[in-house]
Amino acid sequence: MLNYVIRRLVGAIPVLIGVIAVVFILTTIVPGDPARIMMGQRGNPETIAKIRHEMGLDKPLSIQFLDFMKNALTLNLGKSYRNNMTVVEAITTRIPVTFKLAFFAIVIAILVGVPLGIISAVKQYSWIDYGAMFFAILGISAPVFWVALLSVVLFCVILGWIPGTGTGNGELIYYVLPSIVLGLRPAALIARLTRSSMLEIVRQDYIRTARAKGLSERVVIMRHALRNALIPVVTVIGIEVASLLSGVVITEQIFSLPGIGRLSVEALTNRDFPVIRGVVLFMAFIFVLANLIVDLSYPFFDPRIKYD
Amino acid sequence: MMKRLNILILLGGDLVLKKSLVVILALLIAATALAGCGQKPAEQGKEEQPQTEASKILRVGVMSNPPKLDPVFATDTSSSRVIYQIFETLVDYDNEGNVQPLLAESWDISEDALEYVFHLRKGVKFHSSVAGEPTANGGREVTADDWIWSFNYILNPDTNSPRAYFLDMIKGYEDYQEKKTEQIAGISKVDDYTIKIELDYPFAPFLSILAYNTFNVLPKEDVEKHGTDQFNFHPVGTGPFKFEEWIQDDKIVLSKNENYWAKDENGNQLPYLDGVEFGIVTDLAMQWTEFGLGNFDIIEEVDDPYYNEAKEMPNFIERAELGTYYYGFNLTMAPFKDNKPLRQAFNYAIDRQGLIDIVKNGRALPASGALPPGMMGYDENIEPKYTYDVEKAKALLKEAGYPNGIKVELTYNTSDAHKRIAEALQAQFKKAGIDVSLKNIDWGALLDAADRLEVPFFRMGWVADYPDPDNFLYVLLHSNNIGPNGNYTGFSNKDFDEITMKARIETDPAVREELYKKAESIAREEAPWLFIYHYTTHGLAQPYVKNMRVPFFGAYSLKYTNLDIEK
Repeated sequence: MLNYVIRRLVGAIPVLIGVIAVVFILTTIVPGDPARIMMGQRGNPETIAKIRHEMGLDKPLSIQFLDFMKNALTLNLGKSYRNNMTVVEAITTRIPVTFKLAFFAIVIAILVGVPLGIISAVKQYSWIDYGAMFFAILGISAPVFWVALLSVVLFCVILGWIPGTGTGNGELIYYVLPSIVLGLRPAALIARLTRSSMLEIVRQDYIRTARAKGLSERVVIMRHALRNALIPVVTVIGIEVASLLSGVVITEQIFSLPGIGRLSVEALTNRDFPVIRGVVLFMAFIFVLANLIVDLSYPFFDPRIKYD
Repeated sequence: MMKRLNILILLGGDLVLKKSLVVILALLIAATALAGCGQKPAEQGKEEQPQTEASKILRVGVMSNPPKLDPVFATDTSSSRVIYQIFETLVDYDNEGNVQPLLAESWDISEDALEYVFHLRKGVKFHSSVAGEPTANGGREVTADDWIWSFNYILNPDTNSPRAYFLDMIKGYEDYQEKKTEQIAGISKVDDYTIKIELDYPFAPFLSILAYNTFNVLPKEDVEKHGTDQFNFHPVGTGPFKFEEWIQDDKIVLSKNENYWAKDENGNQLPYLDGVEFGIVTDLAMQWTEFGLGNFDIIEEVDDPYYNEAKEMPNFIERAELGTYYYGFNLTMAPFKDNKPLRQAFNYAIDRQGLIDIVKNGRALPASGALPPGMMGYDENIEPKYTYDVEKAKALLKEAGYPNGIKVELTYNTSDAHKRIAEALQAQFKKAGIDVSLKNIDWGALLDAADRLEVPFFRMGWVADYPDPDNFLYVLLHSNNIGPNGNYTGFSNKDFDEITMKARIETDPAVREELYKKAESIAREEAPWLFIYHYTTHGLAQPYVKNMRVPFFGAYSLKYTNLDIEK
């Protein structure tokens, strides 16, 4: 097991280097000079040249790339062009907000999606099934920003149950609405997938055998069917965790949460190359990690899968 | 009923469920632990401080996280908004834009306008604390030495302030930039409370430039303690509010400067407020919602959909701003090069008032020239007046060599607001036989392209750095400034250059005004821009916010020194 984890982590290194290379090239070929943007609309050419020099932008691209890689190895990702904060600090100060948001969203998605999927499968073609699947279609189709704005109008303005934007003084209530909004789509996906997966499993021979043994329906479904049905669901959850990181961009923007999503939008708008590279690297790492965790969780659901 | 019960039984009571419950419980515990991660250690131990009835914290909704709180490096309005509360300059403006004393109580100008002597206010002290810690300067008094040090620091080539060149008329600036001298020669101390600034040539808007919010007095000890990088996160000045906390993308907290030098006319200590909290809410719809919920006391940006409602509110103030929204014609390439009739045809082809009424909700003033109303040299009677005249536009197109119309591409920077304007003008142009295709690129790319004079027809706008026509006509249209310095059209006109240069060094306001009128007239006639509209600025406060105003320079430059909350 440990060998497998080490192998996977080592295998992730070329992936991360590849990601950095692609991002590096993309950020340098897009038009728009960060030194120029920093100067505002009117910029004195000598000062722009000096700032470019300070940022190291006047060096050849290959040297800039090598410098960046060398520094990245020691987790020195440079400083933000915009406010001189180190990239590591800029990311770490925002991680808690994004992690909380993504974590609550995925918990909500699982707590809503899995039971809905099970109920729909067990009660196929009942009104519960139709209702749940209607919710699922709605959840997948509705754009995040639209749901976000509507929910704000309903819960903050009309009902006044939830305070508005921001994080207040860190109270969890500020995360309720954004987490539900962000968790809606994965919840819908998980519900649909759990349902179809369960429907396939309950028609298997071993389920018939379990029923023939005289086990109660509850035990048949929860112990024998659900475990196997969850394997594809867990895979999707892994992918969803990563896609949540892109979902947070919109959610954080609308709810004004100071997380990684806001940071990346700001960095992109201002051509803050070090921050862009840092954020992408961080997201790539989370993606790799999420996939690894998903892979490692398979034996829990299916003992036939073993990592040696 | 039975069916529902079955489902409940199905989900409950089993061993697997117990396991699931344990997992859920573990997740919730982890979530709670995670929730604690966001807090700083100091906050974790601290009890939530309830806001007492007496505490007056002004909550201001702003759109973006300012990049810089160090005034030496700030170039944008979101930074300036906060900087105005923490730092102070020698002079500033009254509500009508006249220069008035701030940290200089008075000044004398020599007859040749080459020497300015500033008499400093006594009893002005630097902040004694920053972010809850004592400052390195210890809250000491500001003297002439601090001003000498501050100017030398800001103008030092190693500091690399993006706005240092605003003061390039000070004697010895060039030598100092080239490191030929240790100190800038033109700034000297007369005594502890008097400084002298000498200029290379008379420069009429000099005092206005000193009010620009880069040129504040800074405490040497704190700048040196934190270094150029970190002073941004520990800004220390003399202003009415002290810096307390900055949570990136979330909020900036300032507290009252108890040692502030100013008192109101009744002798009461200023500021009245106990503090200011800037809440960063990027989405304008959400900002409006928060204002409606009473979570903000002031917002400085009311988006178009809410404008009519805001207009009816008691503390909504709107006024003309010193700015012009325009599309530039590139005069160095076809089709606009050497083709004045074509440029004029474009100017006659658009219905400015229609655009303002429909797209801008009436929130702008039609522009017939470069200078905005309220600026010296502005005169609505200067010819030509570009009215909406499709027939004239067609005739001019014919004269320009395009009897069958013309196709041209407009490049604008990506934004919904610019897009709405571009699309409306595109439709208007069509009536005169002008076929405009639209291309949007982002701001950085547009700046690059405009700097290099690569695009034929492009969107731009300009809001004055200081309230003087020099900052419009010289900066944006003088041939010295072609390229990134501000003249993106490549406009080069000998008469115009001479007049604007003469006006720069002329000290008699009446003569200057006449010179700028002449220059403005040339600009209108030559039409290097499609003059579209002049901006307005606005601010909205809750009814209980007292002394609310919108400075002529823009809502962002409002100082909260005498604002009060009376609920």
